[in-house]
Amino acid sequence: MAKLGIFDLAVRYGKLTAIADLSFTVTEGERVFISGPNGAGKSSLLSAIAGAVRAAHGRIEMDGEILSGLGAEAIARRGLSMVPEGRRIFAGLTVLENLTVGTGMRRDRGAVADDLETVFTAFPILRERARASAGALSGGQQQMLAIARALMTNPKVMLVDEPSLGLAPKVVDEVYDRLCQLQGLRGLTLVIVEQSSARAARVGGRMLLMRGGRIVADGDATEFAARDLLTEAYFGGAA
Amino acid sequence: MTSQHTIRRRMAATTPVLLALILLAFVLAALALGDRAIARMAAETLIRVTMVVGFWVFVGNSGVVSFGHAAFGCIGAYVSAWLTLRPEMKATLLPGLPELIAAADWHVLPAALAGGGVAALVALLTGAAILRLSGIAASIATFAFLAMVNTIWANWTPVTGGTSSVVGLDRYVTPWVALGWAVLAITIAAVHASSASGLALRATREDEVAAAASGIDRYRHRLLAFTLSAFFCGAGGALMGHFIGVINPDGFYLSLTFLMLAMLVIGGVGSLSGAVMGVLALSIAVEVLVRLEKGVRVGAATFALPPGSQEIILAVAMILILIFRPAGLMAGREVMLPARWVAGQTKPEN
Repeated sequence: MAKLGIFDLAVRYGKLTAIADLSFTVTEGERVFISGPNGAGKSSLLSAIAGAVRAAHGRIEMDGEILSGLGAEAIARRGLSMVPEGRRIFAGLTVLENLTVGTGMRRDRGAVADDLETVFTAFPILRERARASAGALSGGQQQMLAIARALMTNPKVMLVDEPSLGLAPKVVDEVYDRLCQLQGLRGLTLVIVEQSSARAARVGGRMLLMRGGRIVADGDATEFAARDLLTEAYFGGAA
Repeated sequence: MTSQHTIRRRMAATTPVLLALILLAFVLAALALGDRAIARMAAETLIRVTMVVGFWVFVGNSGVVSFGHAAFGCIGAYVSAWLTLRPEMKATLLPGLPELIAAADWHVLPAALAGGGVAALVALLTGAAILRLSGIAASIATFAFLAMVNTIWANWTPVTGGTSSVVGLDRYVTPWVALGWAVLAITIAAVHASSASGLALRATREDEVAAAASGIDRYRHRLLAFTLSAFFCGAGGALMGHFIGVINPDGFYLSLTFLMLAMLVIGGVGSLSGAVMGVLALSIAVEVLVRLEKGVRVGAATFALPPGSQEIILAVAMILILIFRPAGLMAGREVMLPARWVAGQTKPEN
């Protein structure tokens, strides 16, 4: 059974169609990149899955349970967590507060302490700056904090919206290293929006190419780099 | 790491203690001056601390400005009056009261608790609707709530006495009684702020989308804070009634709303200490200016500010604070003991 299933999903903002009858499934432990030009509907897709944007129609399932129609916080409680675009950390709270704030809903208090240790081990800088105000962190550190915060809610599926946005290439490398490491450690299912197909190819995984609110290609990220699919997706034609 | 966390928690716990000591010093200083007017000013200031700290529980943590909290003061004041006034007085002043309340002759303490309790209940019911709105829409709805309460109180004459004042309340509120309530409010506010719910609420203030993505139910945490907040505004209203001895719906309307907001803005909405310090600073400034308006004798000559200059000076001071210190006097910081005092050993800071 698919871990995450999207069936005939449509998202509209007024008359504008951001996502048009889109379907795909993700298996457990898979790493899926979503790429495509600006306005392809990548962020709308993630927001709709996470419940931050209401879908016009369609069905979203995780482990066979229907998520569509639930509020964002209810979806997060069921184990689907989103790292929003632009990080959106709680700048006025400390790093530690950012990490613990989402754990209030968890009943496994002992596991929370273990998870905190896990993210501190993965991101030592967060341990170092635990008492600092989150707004004082650098962009890369904030991205790591946003990922760590999402992990603290103990998700089964994690959606990450453009983790490389506004970061230096070296920092992006580090963010992806840690993300993949944590995925292996926790058996996470990852869906990542990534503009750079070269980056996705280097990290490795499946890639969905979006254009005009639809998926125009679906395959291995490393193969994409070799073929002309990207050019087609950006400049017209169909895959 | 864990020990750092413990130290942080212990430091945070010193905040209500220090604030209580500051207020205690304030009361002692006021009483030491031996001036009855100053003692009264101290009591009134501490009642306002109770109300503004209550107000902060919601506004400070949620980031949603409320214009409706004066109404909770109104409810608390009248509930306490209904329960404590002598039955024969109520029969003439407020003939419309239901039998049970008309016959009530409660002690002042349970009556103050009931005042806060009824205000909290009203907050729970109205908040259930108001807090589903977000941002400015919620603020406007709280203003509508204030106007509704005022209109009902001004016109439901058989029960509230209408626009004419209800008189004869037992004036039991000394600076010490007011201090007790203020310290209670500060303690509960500090406990709430450091609780999981308080933290979750501050996260929604920082970023609603990210908070929802972290599984935080904004509505539930807001409603809890709103209810708790109303309790202390209601209790503060009851104290105010028993301090002045006379209550009137307009005493809990626009001027009180703006006074509470001004105190919170001047002290700084970002911290509990800001709420307390804002009340102290503004109350002391008003007292000084009122005295200067009356005139100060220096030798043979008397100097006096022209009447009305108190309002103008305060307004200018507020504008200056907003320009030069937009986060308020405390700028979001709390008064707390330094880490090394709490830890009992030298610890590197940050």
